[in-house]
Amino acid sequence: MIHIQRLSVSYKTERGQVPALKNINLSIPKGTATAIVGESGSGKSTLLHSIMRLLPPEAELSGKIMFEGMDITSMDDAALRSFRWRKCSLVLQGAMSSFNPVLSIGKQIAETVAYHLHLSSKGSYKRAEELLEMVGLPTFFSKRFPHELSGGQKQRAAIAMALACSPPCILADEPTTALDVITQAEIVWLLKEITRKNNMTLCMVTHDLPLALSVCDRVAVMHRGEIVEIQTPSGILNNPTHPHTKKLVESIRSIEERGNPK
Amino acid sequence: MRQNALEVSELWVSFEKGSKAFHALRGISFSLEKGQTLSLVGESGSGKTTATRASLGLIAPTKGKVTLLGVDINNCSKDKLIETRRRCGYISQNPYDSIPPTLTTLDAVAEPLVICKGLNKKTARERAKEMLSVCGIVDEVVLNGRVKFSLSGGQKQRVALARALVTDPEIIFADEPTSMQDASNRGDILDILQEYVKKGSSLVLTTHDLYLAAAATEHSIILFHGKIMEAGPSKEILKKPLHFYTKALLDALPGLGKKIKKPSLKQGEPEYRLSGCPFLTRCPRGIDKCSKTCPPIKEVSPGHFVACWLL
Ligand SMILES: Nc1ncnc2c1ncn2[C@@H]1O[C@H](COP(=O)(O)OP(=O)(O)OP(=O)(O)O)[C@@H](O)[C@H]1O
Ligand SMILES: Nc1ncnc2c1ncn2[C@@H]1O[C@H](COP(=O)(O)OP(=O)(O)O)[C@@H](O)[C@H]1O
Ligand code: SF4
Ligand SMILES: [Mg+2]
Ligand SMILES: [Mg+2]
Repeated sequence: MIHIQRLSVSYKTERGQVPALKNINLSIPKGTATAIVGESGSGKSTLLHSIMRLLPPEAELSGKIMFEGMDITSMDDAALRSFRWRKCSLVLQGAMSSFNPVLSIGKQIAETVAYHLHLSSKGSYKRAEELLEMVGLPTFFSKRFPHELSGGQKQRAAIAMALACSPPCILADEPTTALDVITQAEIVWLLKEITRKNNMTLCMVTHDLPLALSVCDRVAVMHRGEIVEIQTPSGILNNPTHPHTKKLVESIRSIEERGNPK
Repeated sequence: MRQNALEVSELWVSFEKGSKAFHALRGISFSLEKGQTLSLVGESGSGKTTATRASLGLIAPTKGKVTLLGVDINNCSKDKLIETRRRCGYISQNPYDSIPPTLTTLDAVAEPLVICKGLNKKTARERAKEMLSVCGIVDEVVLNGRVKFSLSGGQKQRVALARALVTDPEIIFADEPTSMQDASNRGDILDILQEYVKKGSSLVLTTHDLYLAAAATEHSIILFHGKIMEAGPSKEILKKPLHFYTKALLDALPGLGKKIKKPSLKQGEPEYRLSGCPFLTRCPRGIDKCSKTCPPIKEVSPGHFVACWLL
């Protein structure tokens, strides 16, 4: 589904060029769930933003990002418009900010639907309610405003929005960072079940390795702008190859074993 | 009998929310012997920070009593309160407001030594430098830079840790001290806290992570909406949680080789119940009685307490 070849990104700053991604090669097969795990500043968001062509102007990119055979890096505006939402959508880090505070949730989802799928306003509102149900929110939530939703509910609404045009691929940038553990489990289960049921491709960024191992088929570990390892969860657990992955697994294991000695 | 480092009894803390009173803590009691360690575990809003701050006398209780290091902190002179607080170390949840932003990193850690221990500036700075290096801050640029400009969230949290520990406090309050750390550093923070416990400090930790609680402290208290749901030895709770809420917390927590289970809690508004069991709106098993009367906390095995009508 997505093939990334020799992708490098750097940001222009007062202190010169700061590299954020260095020579990334990554393939995400159709219908899989891939996690990208890395510490703060390792380049996870930059990678997802590169795929969505959402990098700020000060970013410089080289390399190729192929999506179903088309190079995203050279798409024109028209191609981009039909790529975003319809082919691939992004659930943002902290969905709180991805809604307009003065519009009801239902209206915002309906607007996206109407714009991209050319539905009537009645039809698109109905679709919005369907989407809310899909993510486990009662339909009357369509009348609510963003501030009337809890963090978990807002994240559900953000997922509904991402599903609006039934894209084959969903990217999620730390979709659960600001949430409580139980809410986090509910949200990742929702993402996993919806994508699996509809044979969608999921790529989720997180800094939480156990969470990644828990929900994805493949885990890519990022460290200082590079992907240092890609393996199945059991491979990462039992045969980590890169020193950084080894250290990460070891330090998590040491806390778990201290509390739960064998 | 050993002396208690902290005794909290029937503590209520209420805030004004609009015109109504909102009860962040509803009659919680616990105590901690000198040198003992305890975790307050719960999700956000359960009252962990409020309990920590009330224990330090930073929030006045609406009802109830706090005895900190033998001092009844809500019925003593201001001087006595300040003197008692100086014997404590506090790492607040938000390190941004616990470090004076205009000081340099080094002076932020040296300051409590000058104020609480009467050291001269030069000795205090030397000692602060050692402490910061223990906490993983060695870069000269960071040490001499102003806290406000030169530190990442994780670094600020470690500076807050150094500032809290540098005076060898008798009791340490650590409010989610690893929340801003990368996974590979979390163990280091626990090791540092453990060193001080070995030297005799008591420790009150707050976290939502039952693994962390079990790794760091002997006892745990599980809070939900300002009430204690379960309390007991941390390792026992991790192995065999009893309360439906504790079970849900553990099922939702991913571990190496432990996949998260699909949560089975009831959906709905996180309604705050004033009567009956606070957990009823989310409980998978609630019965009629639960909506009428709040279950009392009772001892189900030695030292292990739980509040639930079905247990
Ligand atoms: N607009 C920008 N200008 C300059 N540097 C930037 C910009 N955005 C990101 N960076 C830098 O690029 C690197 C990667 O950042 P990125 O946001 O991708 O990290 P991340 O892995 O998503 O981190 P986090 O877990 O904190 O979200 C970091 O060193 C960051 O400081
Ligand atoms: N100063 C305050 N004013 C009003 N409400 C507060 C205040 N501090 C905390 N609360 C409320 O008390 C409850 C418990 O908060 P807190 O102790 O911070 O929980 P935790 O640390 O477990 O996340 C929350 O509902 C919070 O909104
Ligand atoms: S008392 Fe009732 S509502 Fe509360 S946890 Fe037990 S069964 Fe559930
Ligand atoms: Mg990011
Ligand atoms: Mg708190």
